[in-house]
Amino acid sequence: MFEGLGHLFAAFETFANFTTVFNVCWATLVGITIGALPGLTATMGVALLTTLTYKMAPEQAILVLISCYVGAIYGGSRSAILLNIPGTPANAATTMDGFPLAKAGRAGEAMGLATTSSMIGTFIGIFFLAIIAPALAEIALDFQSYEYFWLAIFGIVIAGQMCSFDDALKGWIAGFLGLFVAMIGQEGIHAEERFVFGWSELSGGIALIPALVGTFGVAEILTVMRNRAAELATSVVDHVVPRLSDLWHYKRTIVRSGIIGTAVGIIPGVGEDIGAWISYAAARRASKERDQFGKGSKEGLCAAETGNNAAIPGAIIPALTLAVPGSAPAAVLLAAMLIHGLRPGPMIMIESPDFVFQVVWMVAMATLAMGIFGILLTRPLLKILKVPRERLMPVVFVLCVIGPYAITLRLFDIYVTLFFGVLGFILREMKYPMAPLVLGVILGDILDKSLRRALVLADGDLTPFFFRPISAVLWITTALVILSAIPGVQRAAARVFGWNKA
Amino acid sequence: MQARPLARADLITGVILVVFGIAAFAESWGMPRLEERSINPWTAPGLVPGLLGIIIALLGLVLALRSAFAGAFGPQVPLDDDTPEERRAASRRLALCSVLCFIYAVVLVGHIPFWLATLLFVFVFIVSFEWQRDEAWPMRARKLAIAALIAVLAAGFIPYMFETLFLVRLP
Repeated sequence: MFEGLGHLFAAFETFANFTTVFNVCWATLVGITIGALPGLTATMGVALLTTLTYKMAPEQAILVLISCYVGAIYGGSRSAILLNIPGTPANAATTMDGFPLAKAGRAGEAMGLATTSSMIGTFIGIFFLAIIAPALAEIALDFQSYEYFWLAIFGIVIAGQMCSFDDALKGWIAGFLGLFVAMIGQEGIHAEERFVFGWSELSGGIALIPALVGTFGVAEILTVMRNRAAELATSVVDHVVPRLSDLWHYKRTIVRSGIIGTAVGIIPGVGEDIGAWISYAAARRASKERDQFGKGSKEGLCAAETGNNAAIPGAIIPALTLAVPGSAPAAVLLAAMLIHGLRPGPMIMIESPDFVFQVVWMVAMATLAMGIFGILLTRPLLKILKVPRERLMPVVFVLCVIGPYAITLRLFDIYVTLFFGVLGFILREMKYPMAPLVLGVILGDILDKSLRRALVLADGDLTPFFFRPISAVLWITTALVILSAIPGVQRAAARVFGWNKA
Repeated sequence: MQARPLARADLITGVILVVFGIAAFAESWGMPRLEERSINPWTAPGLVPGLLGIIIALLGLVLALRSAFAGAFGPQVPLDDDTPEERRAASRRLALCSVLCFIYAVVLVGHIPFWLATLLFVFVFIVSFEWQRDEAWPMRARKLAIAALIAVLAAGFIPYMFETLFLVRLP
């Protein structure tokens, strides 16, 4: 406990300088802008900034990326409220009540509530980040190859299930395709080349940043340019500082959403959008004014915005302690940490305990900046939403092309970005979720090495896979998730437990 | 079973996944087992990709069978309520965007100076999407000027940022 406090203060000293304040301010502002613009997502923003910050000192680079991440998830609420288009997928639930409020002439009030809810949500998540991350890292020290194998499978199955509400099959297909992509190139045990077909540039494998920029950047540009242009609900903004009475009135909803958001964030690959939806659904179920949900309920708006921002620190927890990201932007963050020579994983509390607490401060500083900018810059941000997509997207595409190139200086990575852009666009059009695909690309290496090492350790015996305690929890949960997605099982369960469809 | 949207597309995808999964398994099966290096057979490089190939093929099979029973061979359920004219306009925008992006990333970048490629791409992209046949010339000239300004700024600032600040040699 006191050791943790010591690390917390030591971590603060790292950031007590002007450079930190400057970096937090500009990166949060960039994040809010990226999030506010439909078509520019948090994942894309963090991925592009990774390419722009890789020459910075590691702590400052990660600080910039986290600030952008926090800003973008919040910034998406602006377009959700004013355009009825979520700026990032995380703000989809915000449109449900944010847009009706804006149409009723209460856009400022909605944006103010979104700002404070996002801040409170992130602070709830930060609290759990500071408590859970060190504990989870300690538990993860007991993980052996068996547990890592099941963790990879569990991540893909649960992300596939939760990211695609009504069609888990497509989520699993996306996840296993992602795992397969990670098999391309030299494997990690014998350095044997796989699926290279004599193409030397493939022997290094598919790098994560080009794949992510393609899937979340290029694919998004194609989607935005294909769709019709959106129109602002209003250009007039009422008061943006929320009433404390509103926040106090919804205190239970906000705390509940914060806890749900953080918990959902911790689940591998599931992320902010699901955090918001589950928080929203839970708030509606518990609300006394549930008939107002979807028609401009302030409680619904608070739940969605608290839930998605609380998922940010939640998603960072497994990224730091297990090297398994909780969301797509956290996946980029994980890749950035590796690029900067940091080693997330179970050893982090032994090798660099200060870093975990530095991350706590990073998220806290970004949250403060987000709140201040969110309240002060309401009207300038309104102008950003008026920038036509035709003028913005070509510049974004230039960054999508040159960003991945800048890391490795290989034209091949530009082609990888394009390939994943087209693949991501096609899969998205056919309703395949992208988060499990990305998670698969990250978990592929862990799955590959863990399964083979575990089989060597057990000499081909499968019993340790099923009877070690943590393994058992993971495989039983995985099996239950798969079973729960089968329509016949759902019907049988409904009959047995007397659930009705509503 | 109720007809699903995208049933026919899912059927085709399912078949592609089955073929892909089997091909991946076959390729993995044929990978070197490295017996000459006396490695433990459980660490053979083809083990995990082979298993993934089987799983992908099985998932593809389930997808194909489900689609076959959910209206893949009948009339398709539309995904949205757009009119045919709106769909054609969306397809035109998508095609234009794809072609311009492809030309920039594959044909121009790496073959002409990066700043010039960016200047041309940004200008042509904006003009192509903002061009309207029945527009008055003063308005058109204004749009062309804005496109040129954005293109010049992008072609100047982005290469400066990467080359001078991050010391990256651009293609």
